[in-house]
Amino acid sequence: MTHNVAILGAAVLPVAKWQKPRDADVQVLEHETLAKVVIAAMADAGLDKSEISSLVFAQPRPYTQQKYFATFIANYLRLPCTGTVQEVLGNGMTAALAFEAAANDIRLGKSQVALALGINFESAVPAVEHMMNSMKATGDVDFHAPFGFTPISWYAMDAARYIYEFSSSREELASVSVKNRRHASLNPIAQFRKPITLNEVLAQKPIVDPLGLYEVPPRGDGAACLVMVDEEIAKVSGKPYVRVRGRGFFHEGAHQINEVPNDMIALVSAQRAGQAAYSEAGVTADDIDLAELYAPCTIIEVLASEALGLVPRGQGARLCAEGVTSLGGRIPIATSGGLQSRGHPAHVTPFYSFFELKEQLTGRAGERQVKGARLGVTSAELGNYNAALVHVLEGVQ
Amino acid sequence: MLASQVIDRIRAFPPRMTEFTKQFWWGLASGDFQTTRCDGCERLTFPPKPFCPHCWSEGVRWVPLSGRGKLYSQTVVHAAPMVFQEETPYRVGIVDLDEGLRIATRVLSETEPRLDTAVEIVVLQYRDGPLFAARPL
Repeated sequence: MTHNVAILGAAVLPVAKWQKPRDADVQVLEHETLAKVVIAAMADAGLDKSEISSLVFAQPRPYTQQKYFATFIANYLRLPCTGTVQEVLGNGMTAALAFEAAANDIRLGKSQVALALGINFESAVPAVEHMMNSMKATGDVDFHAPFGFTPISWYAMDAARYIYEFSSSREELASVSVKNRRHASLNPIAQFRKPITLNEVLAQKPIVDPLGLYEVPPRGDGAACLVMVDEEIAKVSGKPYVRVRGRGFFHEGAHQINEVPNDMIALVSAQRAGQAAYSEAGVTADDIDLAELYAPCTIIEVLASEALGLVPRGQGARLCAEGVTSLGGRIPIATSGGLQSRGHPAHVTPFYSFFELKEQLTGRAGERQVKGARLGVTSAELGNYNAALVHVLEGVQ
Repeated sequence: MLASQVIDRIRAFPPRMTEFTKQFWWGLASGDFQTTRCDGCERLTFPPKPFCPHCWSEGVRWVPLSGRGKLYSQTVVHAAPMVFQEETPYRVGIVDLDEGLRIATRVLSETEPRLDTAVEIVVLQYRDGPLFAARPL
């Protein structure tokens, strides 16, 4: 027998630059920071720590000095477990994979209460140094990295191709940043909250043409904990909760580029994973009330929203500029502020997507609440959306 | 035989060479652009591999590539990893070779090339070894 999975509690650290330089006398350490988030998430769920039986961590960045972080935290928080204690890793998909593993323990009856949690500290490591690692994660070390590709250079090439094929423009793409900052201005946990204009976005220094500073993700630190439970526990809690309605996964068997030329900007993995998730949930894209997508750059939000059927192919950038994907529009996307403004502590970023959907689907999103939101979709990816993991979530109040 | 261009510095992040891939890199140094083709299903692959990724046959042979293709996309990297700091900004791109293979490489062009423009592969002769790049025709 399989069990339905629910998110009953959640807490996150506001995304910011929390990490201190290596030579600072006083440090901000990952385990102290994460422990507070875990305690807050369990208070939100209204459960006792003795009920937790699985811990699935997003693996921290290599800069975290405390290794085997999961087992360290099991000790730090005194959490004996009968389900599992593990760390998972998978580029930007890391936190969504942790969510999956925790959900699977519940589905299989190995746990009734599982935490999906993690912390990503990296902001005190200079970008030029950090990229020495990340360039090896987003390309072939011998046949791509020697040319100087960076993780977001692939997205920039998506943008160039999109503008070319669909007669779009940098201005249309940049409207995503303006929209997301407006959303972030209403989100207390967002990294950047001061509204910006289109002209300000266009005036920023170039990072990877045609994208400038405000169209790519900032660097930041974050931590999150989701309390995932057997839905029977959520029901008796009397609290509003979120039910996992469907999931889909697809890896196209390619890394950054497909050596057999394909339509790179169709994001076939997001298409296939999305279809699978909608099918399992018994819904269509038209039923979705809001989306919280893994989209490091503006162009990726556009492409993922098209691939998931939320907006028609080739029209995502224009429709964003017209307000269709804004709060108050037909299909609000990235009400949290998205990766550009809510922030992007990469290994835990998908946790923040689940957190935003939980806030929205349980009616707790305050000024940025999508009225009547019942169904939300979230995605995570790795590479240049070579793989996608999509979840459809439903609010139960 | 590819055109070649001398670059008076060492490669910022040199590729590793194996007993197998040295055929590619040594060939490149003398102007040959080549990859492997499956003896069974006859499909090409890039980068070259000691097996066929499509049918997993281990019977493969080296074949020359024309070094001609079309520019699928491109960008200029302004914010680069540490080892590329001296070279920024630099242009990179994705090329669809005439043989039906998609590769990623440097792009040599002072101005922004139009996408789908025809390009040729050239050898970049660094002091410590070769790399390759695409150049609009």
